[in-house]
Amino acid sequence: MMASLSDVENSITTSTLPYSYAPLPNGEQPAGNDRPVHSSRKTALFLVSVFLAVASLVALFAGNGPVLPKNLNTSAVPSTAGMPEKVAPLSRGVEKGVSEKSFHPLLGADNSFPWSNNMLDWQRTAFHFQPKKNWMNDPNGPVFYNGWYHLFYQYHPDAPVWGKIVWGHAVSKDLINWRHLPIAMETDEWYDEQGVWTGSATILPNGELVVLYTGSTNESVQVQNLAYPADPSDPLLIKWVKYPGNPVLVPPPGIDNKDFRDPTTAWKTPEGKWRITIGSKINKTGISLVYDTEDFKTFELLDGLLHAVPGTGMWECVDFYPISKQGENGLDTSVDGPGVKHVVKASMDDDRNDYYAIGTYDAYKGKWTPDNPTLDVGIGLRYDYGIYYASKTFYDQNKQRRVLWSWIKETDTEASDIKKGWASLMGVPRTIVLDKKTQSNIIQWPVEEINLLRTNLTVFKNVVVESGSLVPLNLPSASQLDIVAEFEVDKKTVERLNGADIAYDCAKNGGAAQRGALGPFGFSVLAHEGLAEHTPVYFYVAKGVDGNLQTFFCADQSRSSNANDVDKSIYGSIVPVLKGEKLAMRILVDHSIVESFAQEGRTCITSRVYPTKAINNNAQLFLFNNATATKVTASVNVWQMNSAHV
Amino acid sequence: MKSSPLTILFLVLLFQENLFSATADRLLIENTCKGTPSYNLCLSVLLADPHSQNADLTGLAIIAVYAVKNNGYQTLQQIEALKKFHPELMAALTQCGEVYKGVVDVDVPLSINALNLGNPKFAEDGMADTAVESQACERSFQDHAQTSPMTNANKAMEDVANVARAIIRMLL
Repeated sequence: MMASLSDVENSITTSTLPYSYAPLPNGEQPAGNDRPVHSSRKTALFLVSVFLAVASLVALFAGNGPVLPKNLNTSAVPSTAGMPEKVAPLSRGVEKGVSEKSFHPLLGADNSFPWSNNMLDWQRTAFHFQPKKNWMNDPNGPVFYNGWYHLFYQYHPDAPVWGKIVWGHAVSKDLINWRHLPIAMETDEWYDEQGVWTGSATILPNGELVVLYTGSTNESVQVQNLAYPADPSDPLLIKWVKYPGNPVLVPPPGIDNKDFRDPTTAWKTPEGKWRITIGSKINKTGISLVYDTEDFKTFELLDGLLHAVPGTGMWECVDFYPISKQGENGLDTSVDGPGVKHVVKASMDDDRNDYYAIGTYDAYKGKWTPDNPTLDVGIGLRYDYGIYYASKTFYDQNKQRRVLWSWIKETDTEASDIKKGWASLMGVPRTIVLDKKTQSNIIQWPVEEINLLRTNLTVFKNVVVESGSLVPLNLPSASQLDIVAEFEVDKKTVERLNGADIAYDCAKNGGAAQRGALGPFGFSVLAHEGLAEHTPVYFYVAKGVDGNLQTFFCADQSRSSNANDVDKSIYGSIVPVLKGEKLAMRILVDHSIVESFAQEGRTCITSRVYPTKAINNNAQLFLFNNATATKVTASVNVWQMNSAHV
Repeated sequence: MKSSPLTILFLVLLFQENLFSATADRLLIENTCKGTPSYNLCLSVLLADPHSQNADLTGLAIIAVYAVKNNGYQTLQQIEALKKFHPELMAALTQCGEVYKGVVDVDVPLSINALNLGNPKFAEDGMADTAVESQACERSFQDHAQTSPMTNANKAMEDVANVARAIIRMLL
């Protein structure tokens, strides 16, 4: 996957540096020396942070305690007059009179394992959608209707593990604050007795709303069913009616009873009918079946398939939608024309990842062809290189954007989920547009409403992070953050470096502890003061034999927790960086979920993190540079994030 | 007793047909086990259950998950015995007891449920979780700087869970 993306990379980057210094991200007012925005404390923090930048050695990444890093290529670490050599960061809150005691691990119990209530309680998020308790998975039927955003979801009301699934329901005015409503659909018919599974909503031109969803029948056959609001004038759409003639679709000949699920939102055909697609498989070829209908009650199966890719296995949660080639808005699902490309997305049952591809839709044949067959559905680009599955978009006509929802599962044990009483989150909703600069991938970005939760901005401008050093960022708190940063490596260093064969892979190259000439560098989030636990999110730049740079974006869970029963993988991918672009990173930290975005949303990584020590007052944020050959200059805006009603 | 040639022929044909279907089911079991990390373990687990003779792939997966459950119960008994004779290992053994209880009370029912309700990927999650739990039990001794008395038991559980997981993956 990463090798194929390098084709994109190489065709655009040049042998000169692909990035150069640029001002801070738009819209942010730097609180510099000449304009103290909040208080003079900001200036003091800034100066202290710069001095601290040189104080410590990054070998903490590689071992259990402070150890000198190998191959420290730079000149002697500039000393800061009078600063202590040990890695202790400046205590947060000392200026406010908070005692030092709050920064030491909880005394008494060995608080690493097993899980204490304190640790488990901390894991619940502040601004990510999640039910009060028990299990959730796929998002269903997202829609904006009569002034409200609706989100339905796969819900198991009885336990924090998957089981007999119903449709949970919640509404919002802003996609961020939610009002939980009663269960919309239960398993009360023979055709959905084993589960009311995933489905989608379609708004008809007359304003009617219809839902198609998969039912697992009393004999575990997967069928499609029609449902609609009992009272369309109820803005909250609390009660739902199942069409008495259900099921409206059963598995067609040649399709297994258990390979027929997750109908999409419908779109208009040139003949004026409605068209949907449903994922399936034939042997190990993932496929997408196409049905036309005029009334959502009787359907006609088209002869061919929308698309198929051998070897990809079952396609779950297929999604199909237009994106504008030139415009910045989203498009209604029925839009078509010369200024439009179409995305086919599917969730691969075999590897639990969401893949998408951009291509061309032939509305008359009901077929779609990828622009780049080597990056076809299931073998090419992913929405997200971490934990991200069963995602689904909808067209938000309220703000003319296409919004993406996704299920983020837990990566701790089922036993922990039982103990804490809940499992799963939705990722922060993201807008999707075509990347106009590369034309070969989409851009995802947290919906702008999330910015309303930002408060208490701390700015760190032009922080020089020397090779092999660590900078604690002094913040009131570090479990709910929005971090926006730009990085610049030293141009001269890059120019004089010899290139080499680039064989970097986030997952296999040892994470943030593995040093290269030009990386890794970035942030350590949810970090304990001694780095006993920390989660690095970083760039790794590599110079090829041809002089071109490749940039990788990774999130490293290998040291995220002392617990021995949580996932400690390292996720990530190559990220295209174009000439003139700085290296840009945004990270949303919300307790046990970290969402990282590189280059304004070109590459995204969602991680689940379960520290035992780096929680509550002991969670901190660090800047680090573990590159051997270059210093890194970072400009960072960090906001505290308020909690939402979730 | 007088046996007419027709009766004998009928009985022979009946016997042959049973032989053929038994062979065919045996073939399914053998081919299924070839796709798992422990062929012999898989064979012994599946053949130990007479239901495997007539089971389809989902049925074989369920049999494997029940083997995980039985293994879990036995291990829990072993933990209780160890607690009596090795009180110095109480902390780690207590943790092991908790995780194996999780296997039996949570992972196994989840996997059985998912297989019956027709969504095998959640069954795979249950068996993957079981393997993680058995490793966590093993590590809990190291965390307390002690030698594990359960290495074989934990490995056995991990192996059976991985066999079950491999069979379940064939259903995806």
